[in-house]
Amino acid sequence: MIIIGERINGMYNDIGKAIKGKDPKPVQEWARRQEQGGADYLDLNVGPASPNKIEAMKWLIEVTQEVSDLPLCLDSTNYDAIEEGLKLCKKPAMINSVPAEMPKMERVFPMAVQYGAEVVALAMNEEGIPKDADSRIALAAELVATADSLGFSPEMLYIDPLTLPCNVAQDHGPEVMRTLREIKLISDPSPKTVIGLSNISQGTQNRDLINRTFAVMAMANGLDAGIVDANDNELMSAIATARILLNKDIYCDSFVNVFINRNR
Amino acid sequence: MGLTGLEIYKHLPKTNCKECGSPTCLAFAMALAAGKASLDACPYVSDEAKEALDSASAPPIKLVKVGTGDNVVDLGEETEIFRHDKRFFHPTGLAVLISDTEDVAAKVEKFEDLKFHRVGLDYVTDMVAVKCDSGDAAKFKEAVETVAGKTEKAMVLLTEDPAVMEAALDVVADRKPLLWAATADNYEKMTELAKGKECPLVLKGKDLHETAELVEKVVALGYKELVLDSGARETSKMLADLTQFRRLAVRKKFRPFGYPVFAITSKDDPREEVIQAGVYLTKYADVVVMKACEKQQLLPLLSWRQNIYTDPQKPVAVEAKLNAVGDADENSPVYITTNFSLTYFLVEGEIEATRIPSWILSVDTAGTSVLTAYADNKFSAEIIAEALKKSGAEENVKRHTLILPGYVAVLKGSLEEESGGWEVMVGPREASGINKFAKEKFA
Repeated sequence: MIIIGERINGMYNDIGKAIKGKDPKPVQEWARRQEQGGADYLDLNVGPASPNKIEAMKWLIEVTQEVSDLPLCLDSTNYDAIEEGLKLCKKPAMINSVPAEMPKMERVFPMAVQYGAEVVALAMNEEGIPKDADSRIALAAELVATADSLGFSPEMLYIDPLTLPCNVAQDHGPEVMRTLREIKLISDPSPKTVIGLSNISQGTQNRDLINRTFAVMAMANGLDAGIVDANDNELMSAIATARILLNKDIYCDSFVNVFINRNR
Repeated sequence: MGLTGLEIYKHLPKTNCKECGSPTCLAFAMALAAGKASLDACPYVSDEAKEALDSASAPPIKLVKVGTGDNVVDLGEETEIFRHDKRFFHPTGLAVLISDTEDVAAKVEKFEDLKFHRVGLDYVTDMVAVKCDSGDAAKFKEAVETVAGKTEKAMVLLTEDPAVMEAALDVVADRKPLLWAATADNYEKMTELAKGKECPLVLKGKDLHETAELVEKVVALGYKELVLDSGARETSKMLADLTQFRRLAVRKKFRPFGYPVFAITSKDDPREEVIQAGVYLTKYADVVVMKACEKQQLLPLLSWRQNIYTDPQKPVAVEAKLNAVGDADENSPVYITTNFSLTYFLVEGEIEATRIPSWILSVDTAGTSVLTAYADNKFSAEIIAEALKKSGAEENVKRHTLILPGYVAVLKGSLEEESGGWEVMVGPREASGINKFAKEKFA
């Protein structure tokens, strides 16, 4: 599974303060730590509190790239901030995210083509998050068809079927699993899939246990990527193990270490 | 192999009329991809779209047969890029080339002798190719007739002149030979000939593009028993072309390349030629025509073909029998193991390294390892004793000493009883311990 480290997000106090006071230390510290934990991408989100999203995004990108070579996942609903950010990225980045809404898709996909960026796309539209798998798949198909018609390869698309906390929306679980499987039927090459993992356990007890169990189940249903806590060792070990059991990585006795250190 | 939603959607009318029962054409396409709907539900889908969707759901590479009766060679119907993903199904047809300007009768007799028996398997060179180098229709016809009279094997006829081909087909059309080749210049006549006689036809382009165009032209004439030749003759170019043929057919369902593929060697040095043919049969060629006709040239090639086309999911077994290591004689000990090839060759290697002449009895355990077979009751004292009797060890080996793998030490007592008086020793658990064991006991 492709690991997108979630921690550099203005929602967290330390990052929020760092952005406000232009103190690169906490950001760079988390960039390093997530890289050591086994991240493939670093998610950058300026958070809701930043008054100037474009400047904040540019600053985050610059200070992160000073200490890490990992590609970045620009997480914002402000597409101007993303576009300015893409210009600064040293490696092809990921845009997080676009829903199945026409004006937004028309803004994001051509921009992604221009900068060679990948795109996280949400299986939702103006009407919100659908409950059943069929509606999610229909939205995913719309995303793929629109991307394809705008010259954006489905392979570069990461569809997020959208998970909801299991304590309040428990019945979404099986629908998400079925969506993950059937997304592969949309096109060949098929789009990839991604999940904002920590969402599944919002407000629950035993969050880590729920996260890693869900990660393993989703992987068995074809999940390709996750926006996750790359410093949760139990989670990373579970992901490494699932990769072995799915015959994605060749087994060896030190498979956990090999997975965590695969980008070094 | 199903179609994806997007592929289907591209052929749908995009009216979003809902008459099919789905809210949008895209949703209907996804329902079709998931096998939950039938194309008949859409009243507005065109006949061309139906045809396109039908043919796109056909297997990626067509099966084409050359020859008749017991000597039919199946070409194509492959689905994989790498054998470890599933398996390769139809072994490459290897054809020995005979020119109509050489001593045809002598050469075909030599060809008929290209049969091998090795490690319990029979290898056969399964096709013979006759080429018109003389340019003379009568001479070619005579050569083809001579070959047909001396072998039952499937044939390939090589000439680009439709008149010459027609003359040869007068005598061998009922043998369903593979015809090489239709080109951009002669394809109309060649197709008519092949279609009339129901013989498979090779289409030869100057490159991949021209080959694809040629396929579309010939398919438009109503003939689909086709084999493809990209025209490349250098190994590197051919390797690239063969890879493109297979990838486009399997991964992109590119219909013009959904046919078996033909290769012909270009090297004059026989050693280089065999290596070149080895590359082609490894990388997706369905027929390889070559000049090589000596036993020492064909045996390694046929062994490699056998190896590449085995099923990787099935354990490879060695022949179950008594095997001599070194100058084993009536005073040598007998090691017992299973006929799983990995197990057997590991044991054989270690026993060879002891330099003490010995026997190895490989017991038929359907190609499973010692512990697997033991757990599955395929490696019991009764079965070992029975194998020992059948092997002829009773008569040929006087020293009645058996060595059991250490992991099945528990069989010692019952095997002593069942074998009728053989002394049973428990060997080391791992074959790597055989050297030390043997030096202590038998040196």
